[in-house]
Amino acid sequence: MAAMLVATTMAACGQDDGATSAPKASATIPELTKDPLTLSFIWFDWPPAHALEAFANAEYTKVRSNVTIKVNTVPNANWHDAMFTQFAAHKTDFDIPILDSQHIGEAVTNGNILDITDFVKKNIDVKAYNPYLLAAYGQYPQAETGKRDENASLYGLPLLGDTWTMIYRKDLIGDKPPQTWDEMISVAEKCQADNPGVSGLAFHQANGSDAAAVTYNTVNAVYGGNLWDSKTRKIDGVINDAAGQEAMDVLVNKMKPLTAAGSGNWFIDEVNAAVAQGKACIAFNWIAASGGLLDPKQSTLGTTREEILDKLGFATLPSQKTNLVPLGGMGMHVSAYSPAANQAEALNFMKWFEQADIQKKWAAAGGVPSRTDALESPEFLNAGPFNQVYADSVSRMRDMWNVPEYARLVDIENTNVNAALNGAKTPKDALNDIAKEQQGVLDSGSRKGGGGL
Amino acid sequence: MSDPVPLTTDHPGQVASATPPAPGRSRRLSDRGLAVAFISPALLLLLAMSVFPLLWALYLSFTDYSATRGGPAHFVWFENYTAILTSAQVHLRALTTLIYVVGAVALQTVLGFAIAYLISRRTHGRGLLTTLFLVPMMLSQVVVGLFWKFMLDAQFGVINSMLGSLGLGQVEWLTRQRTALISLIVVDTWQWTPFIMLIALAGLTAVPKYLYEAASIDRASEWFRFRTITLPLVWPLLLIAVLFRAIEAFRLFDLVYILTSGGPGVSTETLSFHVYKVAFLGFNTGTASAYGILMVLVVIVLTQLYLRYLNKLKED
Amino acid sequence: MGVSVDEAVSTGPVRDHTPPARRFGGRGRSVLEIALLTVLAVVMLFPVLWMIETSIKENRDVYAIPAKFFDFTVTLDHFKDVFVASGGRSALSVSFLNSVVVAGVSTVLATVLGVPAAWAYSRFAVKAKKDQLFFILSTRFMPPVVVVIPIFLMYRQFGLIDTKLGLILIYTAFNVPFTIWMMKGFVDEVPAEYEDAAMLDGYTRLQAFWRFTLPLLLPGIAATAVFALIFSWNEFVFAIFLTSSDDVRTAPPAIAGLIGGTTVDWGLVAAASVVFALPVLVFAYLVRKHLVAGVTLGAVRR
Repeated sequence: MAAMLVATTMAACGQDDGATSAPKASATIPELTKDPLTLSFIWFDWPPAHALEAFANAEYTKVRSNVTIKVNTVPNANWHDAMFTQFAAHKTDFDIPILDSQHIGEAVTNGNILDITDFVKKNIDVKAYNPYLLAAYGQYPQAETGKRDENASLYGLPLLGDTWTMIYRKDLIGDKPPQTWDEMISVAEKCQADNPGVSGLAFHQANGSDAAAVTYNTVNAVYGGNLWDSKTRKIDGVINDAAGQEAMDVLVNKMKPLTAAGSGNWFIDEVNAAVAQGKACIAFNWIAASGGLLDPKQSTLGTTREEILDKLGFATLPSQKTNLVPLGGMGMHVSAYSPAANQAEALNFMKWFEQADIQKKWAAAGGVPSRTDALESPEFLNAGPFNQVYADSVSRMRDMWNVPEYARLVDIENTNVNAALNGAKTPKDALNDIAKEQQGVLDSGSRKGGGGL
Repeated sequence: MSDPVPLTTDHPGQVASATPPAPGRSRRLSDRGLAVAFISPALLLLLAMSVFPLLWALYLSFTDYSATRGGPAHFVWFENYTAILTSAQVHLRALTTLIYVVGAVALQTVLGFAIAYLISRRTHGRGLLTTLFLVPMMLSQVVVGLFWKFMLDAQFGVINSMLGSLGLGQVEWLTRQRTALISLIVVDTWQWTPFIMLIALAGLTAVPKYLYEAASIDRASEWFRFRTITLPLVWPLLLIAVLFRAIEAFRLFDLVYILTSGGPGVSTETLSFHVYKVAFLGFNTGTASAYGILMVLVVIVLTQLYLRYLNKLKED
Repeated sequence: MGVSVDEAVSTGPVRDHTPPARRFGGRGRSVLEIALLTVLAVVMLFPVLWMIETSIKENRDVYAIPAKFFDFTVTLDHFKDVFVASGGRSALSVSFLNSVVVAGVSTVLATVLGVPAAWAYSRFAVKAKKDQLFFILSTRFMPPVVVVIPIFLMYRQFGLIDTKLGLILIYTAFNVPFTIWMMKGFVDEVPAEYEDAAMLDGYTRLQAFWRFTLPLLLPGIAATAVFALIFSWNEFVFAIFLTSSDDVRTAPPAIAGLIGGTTVDWGLVAAASVVFALPVLVFAYLVRKHLVAGVTLGAVRR
């Protein structure tokens, strides 16, 4: 015990050498082991995670029979903490962390994931991708909307693409989805008035994960607002400009009144439940989380998939001043703390995964691929009614900041938007508080005491 | 007490055996060795797992260290502390925690004592009643939190469903500023009223019968008997229970994490929850350590109070 | 004061200090009190009953509005889902097994470390004994969210993050203070004269403890261990921050993880909660005589 104390003290004093840049992966894949090996992922608990494990164990083992794939899952609320506490421990039980695209900055500046720029150059056909998708899930510093910086380093490759889809009740509002945001709101209003017990809208409002923040960001984008000016690192005065204020006003004063009472803590699962229970005219949710809506066992809308599809329509988001949609989905990265054999296997897996035919198979297995050819393939487009929505949305995507301070920025936005949605703050105060507090986080780069309060 | 704990009987500095008759010298030494051998493993574990981490946290609290960003820790001395003590965000959480602790502990004390009093007046079925009442206390906070989240759901929760059949409107239990905090207090009260009840009951059943008989001969009013006999005898024990609950409530984390995750906005974020965010969202380890040390200071004060009353009770 | 929990929780008439009938309506008042108690009992127990009911309802009845109290189809599917998943054992059942290992081993360790210490504190005059004992108890009061920060930093030096051993160590550390306080009370009840007599017969002090005192302490040890077990079994904060992989995660974070995916299966949450709570309730019933001491960390003795 005493030895433990001494050892800990020594370690505590000697651990920090200050080097914090991401280590580089080799350009070519090192020789792979022939011994049995378990390649571990970490993701949050949702259907794509189980789909990935089943898919990889069925397909990847055809080329690498000594490898087993294990996808560790944690609750969504605990996802960031679970990955970054292990990064902090410099020991990970996963080889391939599946980071949210916004986590990249934090992981790169801490040196937690490998720089795979050279590996990608040598092994991946980058022309097969929409450049923005490649950038969104791997590039740091972050790409501006729709562009990829050819000179920036890459730290990940796309695993699962995603965006919001509008889910609407064809039997209640008609076959044709509303085209503008204003129209969407008035259709929802009418639908709610005509159908007692059904609310006009259902969307993410919770204060955990990135729920309420993505909702505000989406409306902000649609109404022509911006989250920040990345060049001058300015948030205050940008997010709360006239467009930002209008977006917050639309969200709180026009959209929120059309939602169910008590929906102020809803996230993916609650929105799905509302749709499945027939309690919402129009709902917004991540495409990758919408598969369960077609399961008759969980739905009151029909006893077969076809019956449900008679009632549910899936469409791209309405546009207003812009046609932007939120970028979701995640990339694969390589943990800097994995054993060399596992890192090599991880690179090999990524190379394998990004092949055209594998991407199509992944699409057929329920995944959302990123290669353009796979996105246009019938395997993908026929796999689910929302897949066409994704394909149509790719050129319209915008992401949040993926700076190292992301976790705190999103928490500020989440809690304030959630407060505004639930009447704990006025929309104006909430937005100004977001601007002020987020700016404070960005500006406190030169660390002093009291950071993080 | 039926078994007075001899805490107050040993004399400081005395290292000999307390059990008479005093054995021979060699045995005395072996007794001492035995005491050391038996006590030190436990103490060493506590030193390693409780004291050392706290000292480490104390050191980190004077630095700007971050567990993930790496780089050496720079001394910022009291900057973390002043930042915390002057932060409006922290004041807000302190107020929330205070309301929660006072509200929850007061409510469960009143309810718990009332139930204990009612049970103590029954002659039959006491054991069964007590056992039934104790069930909530034994459940994990995770289970309690999840289940109340389900019952308090505004749409298909059973509470609103029952209110509905009574002709009352829906209440947004978890998503309005005021009701969310009330919900937390109610759930905590549901779980911990049995605790107060149990201890109050222990006190109530211990009031000697002859005191009541004497009072009964004097034809004293029932309120008078309650005030002059029951309460003074139960009060010390009850106070211990209340302090114990206050310490536990002050540390509250699990229930907030599951029931509201601090919402709406940050209106149900307790100090513990805020520390968690500072420590694991921003990984501002230095600040979080200072924050934690300040919380520990509050706990130490409460614990000292608790122990003082405990000691008094034992000496009684 | 003689506080007896045995009496408080044992059945049957214990001590009749109910005052004689009041001048007006002693009987009416008694009825009122019974009614009040019944109402309170129903309120306190309703959530538990509702949990059990939800666990045997089909999903469409779980979401029924207005809520269904009696007329629903009974199903045991949710309980099946707790243990069996499509590919064999469910992740939830693995976490239950982890909980058994972590809670079991940490309880044994806390008992092995705590019982001898409690005996020594009871029998010998140790320097500053009072201060030591109070220090020991106060470590148990530290807020877990605060302790977990330095523990996390310490564990990462030893590779104890996301290991069962890490959880076992911290649970042991939290249970040792409790074990010492609780057991000291039990040791105090065993007269030291037994050991003195044995020593006069030629046994060493250690032998006297081992052969004469320890057997008398066994019931107390069992009760103490059960409370330690309940604490470790229910613990959430350390578990969620120090572990993340399926084969280490204990049941509380696993159950909490059942919500927050893409669908919520409240029937499964309820069934998992029932399975999880059942052993605790059984154990708590077994040690009902020591509840007051148990829930106050052994500080308040009967």
